[in-house]
Amino acid sequence: MHEFSVTKSLVDLCIQEAEKNNFKKVYKINLKIGKFTGFSPDSILFYFDYLKPNTRCSDAEIIFTEVPIRIKCRACGKENVIDEPILVCPDCGRAEIEILSGREFYIESIEGE
Amino acid sequence: MKEVKVLKPVLVSNKQRAQENRKKFDEMNALVINIISSPGAGKTTFIHRLIEDLKDSYKTLVIEGDIKGQVDSQRLADEGVDVIQINTETECHLDAFMTAQVLPQIKGRYDLVLIENVGNLVCPAEFEIGEDFKLAILSTPEGDDKPFKYPLLFHLARAVVINKIDLLPYVDFDLDNAKRHIKNNNPKAEIFEVSAKTGQGFEEFCRFLKKLLDARKKKNKD
Repeated sequence: MHEFSVTKSLVDLCIQEAEKNNFKKVYKINLKIGKFTGFSPDSILFYFDYLKPNTRCSDAEIIFTEVPIRIKCRACGKENVIDEPILVCPDCGRAEIEILSGREFYIESIEGE
Repeated sequence: MKEVKVLKPVLVSNKQRAQENRKKFDEMNALVINIISSPGAGKTTFIHRLIEDLKDSYKTLVIEGDIKGQVDSQRLADEGVDVIQINTETECHLDAFMTAQVLPQIKGRYDLVLIENVGNLVCPAEFEIGEDFKLAILSTPEGDDKPFKYPLLFHLARAVVINKIDLLPYVDFDLDNAKRHIKNNNPKAEIFEVSAKTGQGFEEFCRFLKKLLDARKKKNKD
């Protein structure tokens, strides 16, 4: 349910950026979404269809790129990509983990004219 | 068609507003805790007990976030606690904008601001509201696998309170398992076993909090 306000922020930000770049229409929103966030692409799309009419984003689609959870172990120095956010080093089993990626949630670019 | 780089977090405006909220709390020199748990974990009872234990030395304000109604804030106000209500209406979390709207209602200075977020283990973790840190509350009847199922909150929380510890003999809750899940998400998390009903474990939690409160007071004097 929290995707409503998140999608509202997304649309607002796209409209601001479209105005800044003199785009009358946005056709593509390239969105990076980390696997260690609580946002669901399906819910974002659902609210996007509700929010986009009569804005510069009315004909836009969102292209999601998932960012994997990449961790680095401070103990053994190894880097790994993990499927679940269980922050333990798969190599040495220690929990001194630094998260290198997976918490992203940002607009990489917009395409339009 | 042209492509332009944006490279901005979607929640950039929330983050900026959270920083402005933070400034307002800094002016009071208040320690601000964003308290997050599932519904029924005992946030309000925990807050009430905590205020009772701290009231001789620290002035506390509660900001109470609920989807609807004033049940919890009324309960606290009846006990003489200073409380401000936010009703989120449709939203399942507090965000920085909702929090900003009630800041003008704060009269006077407080040492501690406890923000009781909407009961939900998922969404509130994503939104900063101007807090010093997030406190996760987990209660024993909920099951020891919650930190495994809702990793983000437990990853971000500085401290985790395991509440209703007095019910341990009656519920199926593996304390070691819960702690293992919490530590796997967040090795630095400080874990406290308490019962807001009986007061068990509050001494230790208060010691932890007083250290932070005194550090903040000292910062003010300097």
